[in-house]
Amino acid sequence: MTTLRIDNLNVSFDTEAGAFHALKNVSFNVPENTIVGIVGESGCGKSTLINSILGLLADNGRIDSGDIEFEGQDLTRLDATAMRALRGPRISAVFQDPMGALNPVLSVGEQMRNIQYRDDRSKADKDARSVEMLEAVKIPNASEALARYPHEFSGGMKQRIAIAMALMMRPGLLIADEPTTALDATLEVVTLDLLKELQEQIGCSVLFISHHLGVIAELCDEVAVMYGGEVVERGTTQQVFHNPHHDYTRRLLECDPANQRERTRRLPTMNDEPGSFQPQPAPPAPVRSAEEKPLLTVRDAEVTFTNSSLFNKRIIRGVDGVSFDLYAGETIGLVGESGSGKTTLARATARLNAISGGSITFEGQKVHSLGPSDMRGLRRDISMMFQDPIGSLSPRMKVKDLVAEPFRIHRVSGIDLDAEISRLLTLAGLGPEFADRFPHQLSGGQARRVGVARAIALRPKLIIADEPTAGLDVSVQGGVLNLLNDLREELDLAMIFITHNLNVVRHVADRIAVMYQGKIVEMGDAEDIFGSPAHDYTKKLLSANLAGPGSH
Amino acid sequence: MSEAIFNPAPGRLAELWRPIRKILREPLGALGLFLVLLVIFGAVFADLLTGWDPTKINPRDRFQGPNPTHLMGTDQLGRDLFARVLYGGRIALFVALVSTGVSLVIGIILGLIAGYGPRWLDNLLILLFDAMKSFPTVMLALALVTLMGPSLTAVMVVIVLVTVPGYARIIRTQTIALKTSEYVTAAQSMGASSARILRLHILPNVIGPLVILASMDIPVVIGIEAGMSFLGLGVRPPTPSWGSILNDGFTNIRDTAWIAIAGGVPIIITTLGFTFLGETLRDVFDPRLKGR
Amino acid sequence: MLSYFFKRLGLAAAIVSVAMFLLFCMIYLIPGDPASVALGPRATEEMRAALREKMGLNQPVLVQFWNFYIGAWTGDLGDEVLSGRPVTTVVFEQLPYTLALIVGGITWSVALGIPLGCWAAVSRGSWADRIVGILSVAVIAVPSFVIAIYALLIFSVELRWLPAIGAGEPGDLGDQLRHLILPSLAVGLGWVGYIARMVRASMLEVLEASHIRTARAFGLPDRTITYRYALSIAILPTVTLLGVGIGQMLSSAVFAEIVFARPGVGKLVYDAILTRNFPIVTGTVLITTVLFVLLNLLADLIIGALDPRVRSNF
Repeated sequence: MTTLRIDNLNVSFDTEAGAFHALKNVSFNVPENTIVGIVGESGCGKSTLINSILGLLADNGRIDSGDIEFEGQDLTRLDATAMRALRGPRISAVFQDPMGALNPVLSVGEQMRNIQYRDDRSKADKDARSVEMLEAVKIPNASEALARYPHEFSGGMKQRIAIAMALMMRPGLLIADEPTTALDATLEVVTLDLLKELQEQIGCSVLFISHHLGVIAELCDEVAVMYGGEVVERGTTQQVFHNPHHDYTRRLLECDPANQRERTRRLPTMNDEPGSFQPQPAPPAPVRSAEEKPLLTVRDAEVTFTNSSLFNKRIIRGVDGVSFDLYAGETIGLVGESGSGKTTLARATARLNAISGGSITFEGQKVHSLGPSDMRGLRRDISMMFQDPIGSLSPRMKVKDLVAEPFRIHRVSGIDLDAEISRLLTLAGLGPEFADRFPHQLSGGQARRVGVARAIALRPKLIIADEPTAGLDVSVQGGVLNLLNDLREELDLAMIFITHNLNVVRHVADRIAVMYQGKIVEMGDAEDIFGSPAHDYTKKLLSANLAGPGSH
Repeated sequence: MSEAIFNPAPGRLAELWRPIRKILREPLGALGLFLVLLVIFGAVFADLLTGWDPTKINPRDRFQGPNPTHLMGTDQLGRDLFARVLYGGRIALFVALVSTGVSLVIGIILGLIAGYGPRWLDNLLILLFDAMKSFPTVMLALALVTLMGPSLTAVMVVIVLVTVPGYARIIRTQTIALKTSEYVTAAQSMGASSARILRLHILPNVIGPLVILASMDIPVVIGIEAGMSFLGLGVRPPTPSWGSILNDGFTNIRDTAWIAIAGGVPIIITTLGFTFLGETLRDVFDPRLKGR
Repeated sequence: MLSYFFKRLGLAAAIVSVAMFLLFCMIYLIPGDPASVALGPRATEEMRAALREKMGLNQPVLVQFWNFYIGAWTGDLGDEVLSGRPVTTVVFEQLPYTLALIVGGITWSVALGIPLGCWAAVSRGSWADRIVGILSVAVIAVPSFVIAIYALLIFSVELRWLPAIGAGEPGDLGDQLRHLILPSLAVGLGWVGYIARMVRASMLEVLEASHIRTARAFGLPDRTITYRYALSIAILPTVTLLGVGIGQMLSSAVFAEIVFARPGVGKLVYDAILTRNFPIVTGTVLITTVLFVLLNLLADLIIGALDPRVRSNF
């Protein structure tokens, strides 16, 4: 018995540039009581697919041909009213952004009651049903939660409430669009377990969309791989992940750093011929003589924020007594979940934040007590890369001016600036044609490369990279990581690599520091941390890490 | 690259022409542009368009309706209304351009200081802006004019006082938003000075919306000038202003409607023209501002 | 909620204090002597000296400000020049007429603006939306005194449908309302446009939000989504806008009172200028400023009551 059968679906959008064909001959099935995953990178047509099924296509979109058969009805032939009657009781959905998923000005109870508007039952009965659902998704004090508003819940709880709402009417099909992407790894695992549990309990089917191969492998029975608006491969999870047929699937699987079991200095990219990849083991850690002075010494660093309103003052410790050394040419991976203080620590190191205690010493100088002229020198020696690849580039400047900025700020003379810019762009893997583009004309990966070119422009001794691969598709990620790895060897750079992604940090860092609630709870050689974690939090983090599909 | 430097003309011209074409494509924008050009044309070429002296009194010809000699008729003193309307346009545009320009400069400077400067200065300036804004415009104008005496300068001081807080606040809000943006932090991490960050990274990104909003404020400014002249607190008689013509029309409204029409219609045409143009400018260049 | 209230109240008091300071600076620091302004050019030097003494102008500036400041907080804004009655009494006699005008203006703008804005947002891109859009812009653009004069010209002078002068017979509510129609329309018409635009824009923004998509995915009826889920959020900026708008309506009310020869603070202050009754001018400016700040405070409190996020943030 098939819950959802999509057959040769073609969807296009009218745009100013003409018709855009978003889905091309898409076919797949969602059998009863199964979880089907859809994998694809940004722009592959996932969102269009969901909106077509839900009947929520934008005004300029239309279904050109094909069938969407749901529980025996052809959805493409239903009018808006009939479609709305299905949404909620038969088909429901959970979306990516947990912060925006719930209406901010209505109480949770009212929103859950509104979903049951079709039921002819008393308010108390409806509330009882809501409490039941909230308990099912493990919201503490469920009956009190009804009177509360969404902003009073954390991101993970909001997403669970959204799941409770979606499953409230016991639908036959739940569409889950990257529901855990915005959550931290430990929360992600909890949420996925819950979803699976509820699915079995209710006995519905789930269409689960994600770009995260590990999540799909963990959760789904069947998989369809989408690329450029087409389903390029489908089958059981086992088949697709272990014996992929399509070239794109094979490349995609190989590119996922989680699938590299051995530590390697070079990661495969989409350009590599599938199967040809050979891991390059990282060089052994250099033996440091006792006399070698660290490049950077952090001792008991503390950063506090005061969150003051008129009546109360709260002191928040962003970084709470952190110490470590970093030697020239070495890379430390700083790992932790959001709010663990890793970004604050990084900014304090570059003196973008003040410290409230302890010391940070770079090449023997106390960073936070440097005078203006020494500070200029420090700015040349330490450069930073920020999380948002496009947002960290000034929007009204061309790439060539962006790359030239460090030279202009530090009034570097006696160089041929144009030649230097094209040399740097080439080094970062960008052609000269990028020089005249504006940031919004770049893709995420290209913008990240401009950021890299800028960071190495003045030959710094230390690069602090804050989540340099966050938000990049797996296929782009590998290239950027390889670039960073090549450059730091070539230029003998030290690097602090901040990330929440354990699969990535392993291949980049010599040592790893795990941060939790403002403290470094564990630090050691990368291999040791992965092989034998000592601290409970590290263990929890590692077990929450959904390794690649290859591990199944 | 060197070729572009030697031969910039075609690109530049095209860049100037493109926004105009975009405005003309919108019917409302085209109408706005036409009305604005009409008003500017009338004000600039007032001497050529009429032979009448706008201040010449001619009691025998008073209260005439429109006729071939007096295109818009005459007022209670027999002055030619068409001439008064054309010369009144000069006053309106002069006041609008000068005071808006001064407001913009002061507003940008104060806004950048409040947004980028230390916290206490920001709090102080915000309190000052809020206090300025809390005076009802006309009340403030009345108080100031009582003290300074009615004059065009007083009108312009009022306009600047009334509009600066709004501009400064917009610049401040955006500056604060950009101050913590990653690209400004990136510039800081490279060692850029505050002056450089303000000049290269913040100002270019906050000035566009402000200029559009200021162009939409021109009708408001023209309204303030006309309103104060209507109350007899702006230009001194016999200098023509649309507001004072409207006052003449209001005083004599039971004798003739023509004076009130002559005073009000140019105000309506100008404010509508600038608003339609401003709206289109905003939609074309900065859709984010929609609904302000 | 209580701390939110006190915080807002403290801020309002600070704004009023700064406004008083600015007003004081304007009065006393601008070249020109209030005593000479009050007495006019024909007064003798002795008369000026006497009045200066009476107004306390011979004291040090800081003392003068302190007296002014304390006086203002205790409701003592000095005495009127001609009759010698307290300024506060004179202004409060006229205030109800102006408030009636503003309430009338708000009624027009809310009663027409919100439905029009909603309608335009829901039927986005249609001819109705376009017409509402153009009309809103047009009524915003045209100054309120022009609207007042043309309303007077058309409905009172030419058509003779509605009265042109005064506020109506005291005690006769119907007559008073008939006298209120045109002036309040002149005050509120521009705001019909503002509110329609604001509601439309914020409705469109909210309708794009992810929680609205979620609500659609749960199959909620369009009416619930539009009014309960979207409008309850889209209304919030409109309340703030109205708070600010009251200041502008006060300005428009001055013109409406003069054009329609209605009693009110605008007429009061205008006549005071012509008779050089200076304490009345500053007193009215101060009282209307306080009124504006208080109404803004009220708007903030309403927002606090409507938006749970604001409520718990303080």
